Amino acid sequence: MIAKRLRFKTSGTTQFVDITEQLREEVRRSGLRVGRIHLQSLHTTVGLAVNENEPLLLRDFESLLERLAPSGAGYEHDDFARRFDIAVDEPVNGHAHCRQLLLTGFTTVLVEEGDLVLGRWQSVFAVELDGPRSRQLAIQLDGEFVPAISSLRGTRGEVARSAGGGHVLPSAVRDKDLVELELTRQLMVDPDPVAVPMRRLVEAGGKRLRPRLVQLSAQIGPKHNPLRAAALAAAIELLHNATLIHDDYVDESTHRRGRPTVAAMEGAERAIAVGDFYFAKATRLIAEIGNGDVTSTVAEALEAICASQIDDVALRGAFPGDHDSYLKVVRGKTAALFAASCASGALLSEADPVAVEALRRYGDLLGVAFQMADDMVDFSPSSGKPVGLDIRQRVLSLPLIYAAEDREVGPEVRRLLAGTLGDAEVERVTELVRSSDALQRVGDEARGLAEAALRELEAVELDGLRPTLVGLARSAVDRNS
Amino acid sequence: MTAQALVIGRELDRLDGLWEDGLSDTYRSYLDVVDSYDDAVQPKLALAAALIEAGIRLQGLGGRAAPAAALLMGDLCLARASRLLADHASQDLQVAFARAIEEMSAAAASGTGGRPVRDLLVGAFESGR
Repeated sequence: MIAKRLRFKTSGTTQFVDITEQLREEVRRSGLRVGRIHLQSLHTTVGLAVNENEPLLLRDFESLLERLAPSGAGYEHDDFARRFDIAVDEPVNGHAHCRQLLLTGFTTVLVEEGDLVLGRWQSVFAVELDGPRSRQLAIQLDGEFVPAISSLRGTRGEVARSAGGGHVLPSAVRDKDLVELELTRQLMVDPDPVAVPMRRLVEAGGKRLRPRLVQLSAQIGPKHNPLRAAALAAAIELLHNATLIHDDYVDESTHRRGRPTVAAMEGAERAIAVGDFYFAKATRLIAEIGNGDVTSTVAEALEAICASQIDDVALRGAFPGDHDSYLKVVRGKTAALFAASCASGALLSEADPVAVEALRRYGDLLGVAFQMADDMVDFSPSSGKPVGLDIRQRVLSLPLIYAAEDREVGPEVRRLLAGTLGDAEVERVTELVRSSDALQRVGDEARGLAEAALRELEAVELDGLRPTLVGLARSAVDRNS
Repeated sequence: MTAQALVIGRELDRLDGLWEDGLSDTYRSYLDVVDSYDDAVQPKLALAAALIEAGIRLQGLGGRAAPAAALLMGDLCLARASRLLADHASQDLQVAFARAIEEMSAAAASGTGGRPVRDLLVGAFESGR
């Protein structure tokens, strides 16, 4: 059990302070893997809430509180003439106490796999009702802990070495933890104007598939070093996120991973600068690893991504496009970094060139399959994402291409896509895609590519990693989010 | 066509329009800066620097945000420069260039006027030597 205080300052009279990231950080630092984090407000005018961090909704909540317990409505608590032992600075805040009664002063958030268990749209708020003030919450973390990374190092800060010159970490430290720690460490040292938006994006989640591929591939060669692999994996994740920030501006996306995009929240100018900063920082971190083949591999992938982005936007004029154009764009836009993640991890561990190339092909095929599965998510009502977003944004999407080619629904799909896409049109196109065999075809094709990816690895000695790579390939295509 | 022109031509795929639009002049001005580097890599390094300068201008970094198409072209310039540096520059020079872009973009994000891009890149050539 760990007991702490979470301190913060508020700046408004009523303010919803999103403390989700601070709680995540506490969980991360503590090494809590499975358990609970309990929170208790230490004030009678600070409440707690779990809800969506959407600025207009927060204004709705404020309005609701104002309607239910209006300020200045003649509260008896504010009649100082009738009260005893009041402080000289006693505020007029009967409304704030009443509002707190409508909220809660206690809450518990579950923790699994070292992270808060929250729904896609959920954030944890401390709700200031009588600010601005300095506030604190009592927090307790209990459950199963693993040692923090600092305690796993020897007294001289060394990590144990294996006989072969590689590095060995206690099995309790999972690869994923190393990447998260490295990301946290890197984002801690950057200037706030760039670090804060990137931290928001990185901490909002993401599948971390690319770092996982780096770390798995880095176990194949004789020079496996988990710390160097984590450094490369984190740099590639930063690079991926940098490209997403620019993509979101180009696509005029308002949300990513359930949160406002950097462009939507901070403006296009800031989004461009943040993307550039992490593009440069990631390439520097990779260069500093000191393996020229790794640096070139990732640089080539980045160039392919940027070229494909240009093709992607150009093809929107011929929306929904065709299968060949789709594959060409996806190979660059998505698969290039999957392939580079696999190849660079293997290169870092000085794996056999045959294995490096097999992994590169595995990553390429897996990347295409992953993108196809991602396209299908746009038509899944259970994904947690708004259905039809790709249609609305005229993003290249294989189910749409197949539906547009379909003998029965194709003419109507093409007619609708050629016009203005309002809510009714997007809904109708979604219905038509679902009613055709387009999703079935895309699913079959994605699974076929995942199996082809696995066949690339058949002749490679994978030192026990095969089941993990098989599971990863299959889970990348069989998902609904 | 000179050997140098051939080398550069291969690196201008999708960017030929920029060459006519000032990139060639920027490239030539960087050739003077890289004369202490190996002869074989001088064109590549000068082109990398020129592409960074062009890319940042296209993106509108530090000024008004560029429209989507220009931003993507700017991204491609930066990516091409990064690959040229990965393939032809020392580790020190790669790091110096990356730090220069970090400085420019951090200044842009904070809304403070940073040092001119040319100064930063010339400084990177000096420190990465």
